Amino acid sequence: MALLEVDNISIGYHTQKGYLKAVEGVSFVLEKGQSLGLVGESGCGKTTIGMALMGLLPPNGSVRKGRILLEGRNILTMSDEEKRHIRWREMAMIFQAAMNALNPVQRVGDQIAEAIRVHNPSLEKGAALSQVEGLFDLVGIPRERLRDYPHQYSGGMKQRAVIAMALACHPKVIIADEPTTALDVIVQDQILEEVRRLQREFNIGIIFISHDISIVADMCRDIGVMYAGQLVEMGPWRAVFESPAHPYTKALLSSFPTLTGEKSDLVPIPGETPNLINPPIGCRFCDRCPEARTFCKATPPQWVDMGSGHQVLCFRS
Amino acid sequence: MTVRERFPLLNSFLDGWSIFKQSLLGRIGLVLLIMFALMAVCSYIPPWIDPMYNPMTGVDPDITCCTPPSMRHWLGTDFMGRDILSQLLAGARVAFMVGISAAVMSIVLGVAIGMTAGYMGRLMDTLLMRLADMIMVMPTLLVVLILSSVFGQLNIWTIVLIIALFRWPGVSRIIRGQTLSLKQRPFIEAAKVAGASHSRIIFQHIMPNVLPLAFLFMTFRVTSAIITEAALAFLGFGDPGTVSWGMMLQWVWKTGHMFKAPYWLLPPGMCISLITLSFYMLGRAMDEVLDPRLRKEDQTD
Amino acid sequence: MELRKYIGRRLVQIVIIFFIILTVLFLLFRLAPGDPVSRMVDPDMTPEDAQRLMVELGLDKPLGIQYLVYLKNFFTGHFGYSFHYGEPVVNIIWSRLPNTILLFTTSIILSALVGVFLGKIASWHKGKKTDSILTIGALVTHTVFLPWLALILIWVFSYKFNWFPITGMISEDVWLDPDSGLMAKSLDVMYHMVLPLSTLFLIHFGAYLLIMRSSMLETLKEDYILTARAKGLEEKAIRDRHAAPNAALPVVTSVGLSLAFSINGGALTETVFTWPGIGRELVSAVSQNDYPLAQASFLLIAAVVLVSNVVVDVLYAYLDPRIRY
Repeated sequence: MALLEVDNISIGYHTQKGYLKAVEGVSFVLEKGQSLGLVGESGCGKTTIGMALMGLLPPNGSVRKGRILLEGRNILTMSDEEKRHIRWREMAMIFQAAMNALNPVQRVGDQIAEAIRVHNPSLEKGAALSQVEGLFDLVGIPRERLRDYPHQYSGGMKQRAVIAMALACHPKVIIADEPTTALDVIVQDQILEEVRRLQREFNIGIIFISHDISIVADMCRDIGVMYAGQLVEMGPWRAVFESPAHPYTKALLSSFPTLTGEKSDLVPIPGETPNLINPPIGCRFCDRCPEARTFCKATPPQWVDMGSGHQVLCFRS
Repeated sequence: MTVRERFPLLNSFLDGWSIFKQSLLGRIGLVLLIMFALMAVCSYIPPWIDPMYNPMTGVDPDITCCTPPSMRHWLGTDFMGRDILSQLLAGARVAFMVGISAAVMSIVLGVAIGMTAGYMGRLMDTLLMRLADMIMVMPTLLVVLILSSVFGQLNIWTIVLIIALFRWPGVSRIIRGQTLSLKQRPFIEAAKVAGASHSRIIFQHIMPNVLPLAFLFMTFRVTSAIITEAALAFLGFGDPGTVSWGMMLQWVWKTGHMFKAPYWLLPPGMCISLITLSFYMLGRAMDEVLDPRLRKEDQTD
Repeated sequence: MELRKYIGRRLVQIVIIFFIILTVLFLLFRLAPGDPVSRMVDPDMTPEDAQRLMVELGLDKPLGIQYLVYLKNFFTGHFGYSFHYGEPVVNIIWSRLPNTILLFTTSIILSALVGVFLGKIASWHKGKKTDSILTIGALVTHTVFLPWLALILIWVFSYKFNWFPITGMISEDVWLDPDSGLMAKSLDVMYHMVLPLSTLFLIHFGAYLLIMRSSMLETLKEDYILTARAKGLEEKAIRDRHAAPNAALPVVTSVGLSLAFSINGGALTETVFTWPGIGRELVSAVSQNDYPLAQASFLLIAAVVLVSNVVVDVLYAYLDPRIRY
């Protein structure tokens, strides 16, 4: 049985302008101890999936269709109480720490200890804090920083604290949402190395969400490329990275600098993402696709198997 | 070119208006304000009908003291036999006059000082802003009190001026911020390079950009001026020649008719409170127009 | 310790401001049109006493010397004699100070605490009836004209229902009775304090409620709230332990910014309820042309405002760790 199985989920938001279909028919599987990357530009739905997995969708959002199976149990049908129990204990999230993910008026150590004690109420505060000390050792933060406040931490240290917090209850799955985007390249490298090491050590399944395909290729066994709410390509990283099949993936990769040179922004692909309130019937990328054919617009594309787990949602291949 | 394109100011005004219209607070506030404005305008009518309705000097030959509402005096009469309704209407006029004059004066002062501080920077800026800080700490009412002890009975315009002297720090702070950000803009650099003098830059380039904001922000902060004047009059330090709502409350309080004449006690206080409320509501609606973040945005992700 | 340096700096600032006020007041009273002497010397005094006082205050000397004498007198507590009471001014204002502080501080603390509490609740029930009632209530009470509210309260509760005394801070029979203990006297003061306190409370709590409400709504959008939810915390814990402490900070700032407004209200309340505080003393001194008393009362009130400002700033610095560390 897979650790996490996402089965054909569709997620939407009720907005003043209409019902926004943010995610359509996405399926993937995460095995124990494996890592899967979700790549795409902002608005493609990758963060929405992350939120849905954690049960953190805003009040106007909901999973319309499909199942999310955590070790066989459908978390979408669970009660709020059960969901609260699972949160953090079995599935945790690493946010972008620069996003202000830590409460500014609470000491860092206390915030992490809180996570531990929520799921283990009988634990004394002192005991929880010593567990936090252990976590700090693990992620490389000096123990004496336990009683500091978030604003006293550097960017990299804050990110480590957020990672430590995610590990606090020894979850089986961690969803990392753009964890390094706001950090400079050197710190970014360190953090990613840290995450890799922890994953191996604790055999945690990771879903890595990013807009940067190079990072994902570095970190994950499998890559899933998302565009306009749909998964358009999925497969082992080498296959996707070195032999991309979907025109969008190709466009993403063509902006990737190879060996040296600094990271540059993605080369803008001409055109705009489609309106997700009334998405097109056919392929959602065809307006911007250099390889589009006449039938791409009218017919929804089908999944094509490229062999050894590599699949693509496109007619051309 | 449509009319809207020809007059960009009109365009932004109409845009603002459509947002304003949506706000419930704004609508209520506007209705109340119009009602008071009408009261102010109508204040000229009663004395014109019959001199006995004059708020200050009107004397009804048949009445010597307070009477409850009657056909002749819709809100009754005060301790001198004067018609309360005409006093109330006159009070509306005074309130508007006080509020608007104080607002205009404080805007003029605040814009001048704010622009100077922002433009000159450094020492002048620090000095002016320190001065502003100091003034903001002072309780206006009590300062006017102490000034009236030195200078004797103050007339209404002096009171308004002093109030304005304590209101400008708020305006100047905002204007200074605007000026500082405008100072960096390329068109100011261009003007400098072209040899424009400082005053020309300030008046021709900076001021037009800064003024609309000042007006919008401060016009709906007039309430404190009205309240201050009312409180002063209430305490007995107002201009004895003007009939304001605060003055009316002073009379009903000091002449000991407070408990027996609700028709005299209630209307003035209610008016002061309602006009404050209406300006507050309008101010909130204006905030929504000016600051897009405060509007009810759609939920998207 | 950062906090100590901060407090030190603020104290120096207010001392400077106070000095400026002191000087301005001096210039005002000596240079304004009219006879400055009559402002310092009681017209009812005997000519010998008047002469003696004039020398004491240095009124026959040049302005510069007068200023120095003025300062010296200030530091030694010589504020002159009240025309109205015939007593040294310093005794009068000193006896009034505690009464004002009692009323003022209690009203601010009470309205801040209640405002924060109700604002939190209002934000939690946003859009529903509870929220509407609280918000409208706050709006209405905040814009009511304070003296009028005071009069109405007296009319209803003192006159009509006879529940509370109309004026004053103490009942003479309780305080003059040698057998009354501290408890009886305190209760008596509190009994007299109900209406004035209610007036001040009603006027001020609304502002804090509204600020807390919008602050909570803003804070609930913050990312660390999402983190707290992700950790599996209950909504109540998220609201009270993560959102509220952050949301309450702007309220503290607002208390500081509205101190001048609050002291105006305090003076008006004292006057209407005949509460023997400095505010009321200032008002009556001005109306009776008791210049020495008026000056001193004003200075004392200015000092109270300045010190309150520092207290609030220090409180904020203490509550917000981003400033303290």
